[in-house]
Amino acid sequence: MVDRRRGARSAARTDGRKRGLRVAAWTVVAAAALAVGTSGVLAHAGGLSNAAPDRLSVPAWLFLFTGGGVVGASFLLASFVTDREFIEYVHNYARPVSLPRRALTWLGRLVGLGGLLLVVVSGFLGPRAPLESAAILVVWVGWWAGYAMTTYLVGNTWPAVDPFRTLTLPLGSGLRDYPAKLGAWPSVVFLLALVYVEVTSAVADEPRALATLVVAYVAVTAIGVGLFGSATWFERVDPLARIFRLYGAVAPVRRTDDGYRVGLPGTGLREDLLGDTSEVGFVVALVWATTFDGLTSTPLWTDAADLVVPAGVPAHVFYALVLVAGYAVFIGVFYAAAAFSRRTAPTYLTVDSIMMLFAPSLLAIAAAYHLAHYFTYFLGLSPLVVEAAVTPFSGGVANSLVVPGWLQAVPVVSVLLGHVVAIWVAHSIAFETFPSRIQALRSQYAVTVVMILYTMTSLWIVTQPELPTPYV
Amino acid sequence: MTERRAPPDATPATCPHCDAPFPTDRLRDLHVGHSHLADATDRERTAYEDALDADEDDLRMFQYVALAALVLVYFFFLMTYAAVT
Repeated sequence: MVDRRRGARSAARTDGRKRGLRVAAWTVVAAAALAVGTSGVLAHAGGLSNAAPDRLSVPAWLFLFTGGGVVGASFLLASFVTDREFIEYVHNYARPVSLPRRALTWLGRLVGLGGLLLVVVSGFLGPRAPLESAAILVVWVGWWAGYAMTTYLVGNTWPAVDPFRTLTLPLGSGLRDYPAKLGAWPSVVFLLALVYVEVTSAVADEPRALATLVVAYVAVTAIGVGLFGSATWFERVDPLARIFRLYGAVAPVRRTDDGYRVGLPGTGLREDLLGDTSEVGFVVALVWATTFDGLTSTPLWTDAADLVVPAGVPAHVFYALVLVAGYAVFIGVFYAAAAFSRRTAPTYLTVDSIMMLFAPSLLAIAAAYHLAHYFTYFLGLSPLVVEAAVTPFSGGVANSLVVPGWLQAVPVVSVLLGHVVAIWVAHSIAFETFPSRIQALRSQYAVTVVMILYTMTSLWIVTQPELPTPYV
Repeated sequence: MTERRAPPDATPATCPHCDAPFPTDRLRDLHVGHSHLADATDRERTAYEDALDADEDDLRMFQYVALAALVLVYFFFLMTYAAVT
């Protein structure tokens, strides 16, 4: 993109570039100061997530408002970075790295298949206590918490590791064409169904149930791959492949057409990441699924269930209703924000196009929220995973790790950082898209408000005491 | 993916090079300068430079307001923390 009369005056260009850099440098300093200034307070709140609320050093409402304030202030600070060349430079900053691709692929396949075998065998034949079962520990702690973190903190290795893909490779290239008009919606339904099963059934702590689910997943994948072919199935339908692909866009190491590249985290979230509206639907589902997962272990949820379930609503129906209704609300809010952006910008881009522009920034939030949710959990239980993985048939004796107090600040800092990255991604995508810089800023009002509200919701959830999900 | 649609009752400013509709003349002029600078006529170039100036003014104004808002946010939290803790 050409900035202010760049073509005509090249001397002005260097000046402008320097000014841009200076402004950006000050912005970073100011943001860091703000983050440091607030994190002292936040750290207290995060560290006491399982303690009595009256031990918070500040009232909960002020803590939530501070979080919202940090996100709002990031938007205001970002408005001082308006040099298109600089924004593009930050976004495109990447260095090539060479990795032994074939060797890594085979290693990944081996690890994936080994893990699957371990989970199924130990799930059916191993110990039944959740903290002794290799199946439970490897799936929930090792894979869904620990491995998933590597996909957004390092890079997406799932296409190589994915045992479901490796197992179904020999099934050929499919019998039918995938109905294109379905888009990513089957993937959305699949994802919400997985979350529903995870929250309401025994798969979280019953090794036999978990192993059954894994075998069922292999069967469904085999049918799907048989019908539509491996490439189409994992590209369009399989929700796990899609989650890790989207997480991988947040990560610094990315695979491009000409090899691997290392860039700044979040800069893979480009305006063309999502192909159509149904893929926006999947991103929103991912954000909502993580929220729902956290929401169902809050005291508020237990209170609500205590009210609704004894009144005659079956618990499973209640969970399903909230899961679907909450998703509809999230989609509705995001749609409304895009429609509002269209007016404030102003622009004649369709609401769908605007949703596609701003949805990638939500992925930084989804990844940060995942980290917030699972970091201390993963760290605490990691010795048990190692032990269970090497002694899958006998109960473990390892102790869980005592997580040092200061690490408890990670969830809060991570939620905030995720939102700040999201603000920056939205900012740079807006500048990439809109011809006018003031229009680019005005287009972000609604998204910023949504992000502030969502930060406050997420912070509220991560600082609530964690209760077991009731009635299921 | 960047699909544009003007409301039926609007009179959009249309790009002479690619027919894309824009809500205001200024946004159209900026678009012409960004996307079709090589094919632009002298008149379109002048319009682009004027639009850039106007945009710059709006941007400057926005940043003054943003600065004021930042100061307000800062003092709001400073006072609130002082009062609460």
